[in-house]
Amino acid sequence: MRRVSLLAKVDLDTCIGCKTCERVCPTLSIKVKDRKAVVDEQRCTGCGGCEQRCPVFAIKLVERDDPYTIEFKIVPEMKDKVDELCRKAKFHPEQIICYCTETRAEEVAAAVLAGNDTPEKISAATGIRTGCKIECIQPILRILNAAGITPEKPEGYQWYGLTPTLWDINEDVKKRYSDGGFRFDDDIEVFEKVINAKK
Amino acid sequence: MRKPIPPAKPKKSQYGIDPNLLKKRMAELPGITSVTVKELFPDTPDVIYPSEAGKEAIREATIKSLENVDMSMIKPENSVNICASHHGFTLLGGEAYTEMLKTVRDEIIRRTGCRNVRLRAGVGMRLRETEEYIKAFKLDEYFEGKAKGVAPIDKGIPIETEIGTLYGLNAIYDADFVVHCHNSDVREVHFHRQVDRAVKPFGMSYARAETRSTYHQNLGPRGANFTARAIFNSEFVQKKFAFATFLNMSPAGVVGVVSDNDLYKLNEKLTFDGLKYYGKIITLFGQLSDCIVGLDFPCPVPYVFASGVIYANFVSANVDLFNLESLAPYTWYTESFYGKDGKPLIPEIPPVNPKIKMVIHNYAWSGYPSAFFSTHTPTIVVGREQADLMSRCPMNAKYMDHAVIADTLDAAMEFAYKVTGTDKVLIFDGAAGGINVSESLAKEMLEKAPIVAEKVDNELMPIWLKQRGIDPLALAK
Repeated sequence: MRRVSLLAKVDLDTCIGCKTCERVCPTLSIKVKDRKAVVDEQRCTGCGGCEQRCPVFAIKLVERDDPYTIEFKIVPEMKDKVDELCRKAKFHPEQIICYCTETRAEEVAAAVLAGNDTPEKISAATGIRTGCKIECIQPILRILNAAGITPEKPEGYQWYGLTPTLWDINEDVKKRYSDGGFRFDDDIEVFEKVINAKK
Repeated sequence: MRKPIPPAKPKKSQYGIDPNLLKKRMAELPGITSVTVKELFPDTPDVIYPSEAGKEAIREATIKSLENVDMSMIKPENSVNICASHHGFTLLGGEAYTEMLKTVRDEIIRRTGCRNVRLRAGVGMRLRETEEYIKAFKLDEYFEGKAKGVAPIDKGIPIETEIGTLYGLNAIYDADFVVHCHNSDVREVHFHRQVDRAVKPFGMSYARAETRSTYHQNLGPRGANFTARAIFNSEFVQKKFAFATFLNMSPAGVVGVVSDNDLYKLNEKLTFDGLKYYGKIITLFGQLSDCIVGLDFPCPVPYVFASGVIYANFVSANVDLFNLESLAPYTWYTESFYGKDGKPLIPEIPPVNPKIKMVIHNYAWSGYPSAFFSTHTPTIVVGREQADLMSRCPMNAKYMDHAVIADTLDAAMEFAYKVTGTDKVLIFDGAAGGINVSESLAKEMLEKAPIVAEKVDNELMPIWLKQRGIDPLALAK
């Protein structure tokens, strides 16, 4: 769940149309048209990605007149499929996968099952990845992957790709670094317990 | 009763309140005294900074540390990126780290004739934080217009590693060579567990969001530390890596500056030193009785400092953070393992430090997801402006759901003393060389410190070293 109280505002006199804002927006809510950035006010979550990376400080976050909350409701009939998808992606359904918005795996899985097939659509539907915009991209990609979806990449550099998980580390690597304190197998054990926890 | 040590000054930043709104520091409260790290642990090494020599001591130590470093691979026509991180600028006001960066630049130019030496400074989650430091310390002028803050959502570059593709920041690697300039302060030991501490920025400050998400979501609370090693070991990074220079830190300040072409050699030394220097104070923190905690430093909630230790470490101090058998009470992994009923999904997740009875958020920044802290410990935020700052932050929409507001620090303390029933106060305000605490807590710390020191030296240190594959005798040679 994400409360949205801010909105990106562009100072058109300062904007140089460089498209940096467009390339980092996690919900594709800002586009450069006629060499000036234009915000889709309905869609903008006020995450500040554009404001923080604009090279000429042309963007400010302002209070919204119409604050709203983004949340994807899980309908009871979907619960089994949602749980199954979460566990296939190696998450417990109640596991928090976005620390900024406290979005849980089940909410993202439900959004995916409802047809949201890219990280950008999922962010717009659930609010995930609209806080720090850093830490939750892999869980999103993992859930999409578990659903058999290869998401279409946006034109910017919102994200690049799926990366390895603990389960992808081969025995040779584990053996070679066994005295380094990485404890891969211990961590797999912790994860397995969490994934299979009864709740 | 000794006078409190002057706390770190507030900083003007977009992530904090206007320093003019900070009416009173916690060190000014009645009954607050200080203890130095040296009083607690007499074997604490002497520091070169802070000292009477000032930043000149850092310059001298940096030049000396570079004497045995090979720079012959850098030719006059090459480009070099000096890679830095925001952490260093938060230590002791930032002057020491800044001086180290400037000196490394000057020495590269002097010894190689290469003038295309740039500064690339990475961040945590406050994406303009190093831009603020670059401006405050006039680093852009010093680097002749070649200083740049870089963020994890900036343009990336794929890096093939032995565990698969990870992603670095293009601006970090857009030179012929990279020089890794960091500090050994243990800081996020709840995350890195003092495993590959010196390598970590390759998977963090210098990395794209995908890689940082790998660290915090994919590889587990201990396995995560392999992320940086995988990137550093890659052919791509090895071709560019020239050398590393570190401020060697202790809870009392800068012990020295160390440099090496071999990052793993440096890593082993700094891992050992970190365990030795920080092991005692963090273990002591875990032994303290019920107390009120004060946050009063220009950093986000978990990163405020007391005797070189951050608040997040105190939140986890009820568990031995250096013992790799255990899970930390606070890491993003353990935070993620709390279910909708507010309880951990599995019993192995330890609770946050139950000795923290109340937290007074007198001065701390936004720009880091901190709702976990206000959810798990009663929190009073001083001043409406600071509460509004947290609520406006996209990472902290829920922080104030669990905190209350006091108009003044005095009102907050009056409430805290009454409700908790303790007069023990521990202040995280960046006091250099020691800790500002209530008289009662100072007494307790001085009583417990010798017992803790003996336990660390004789019992814990051998366990910690063994778990990391470090042989102290081999290291000494």
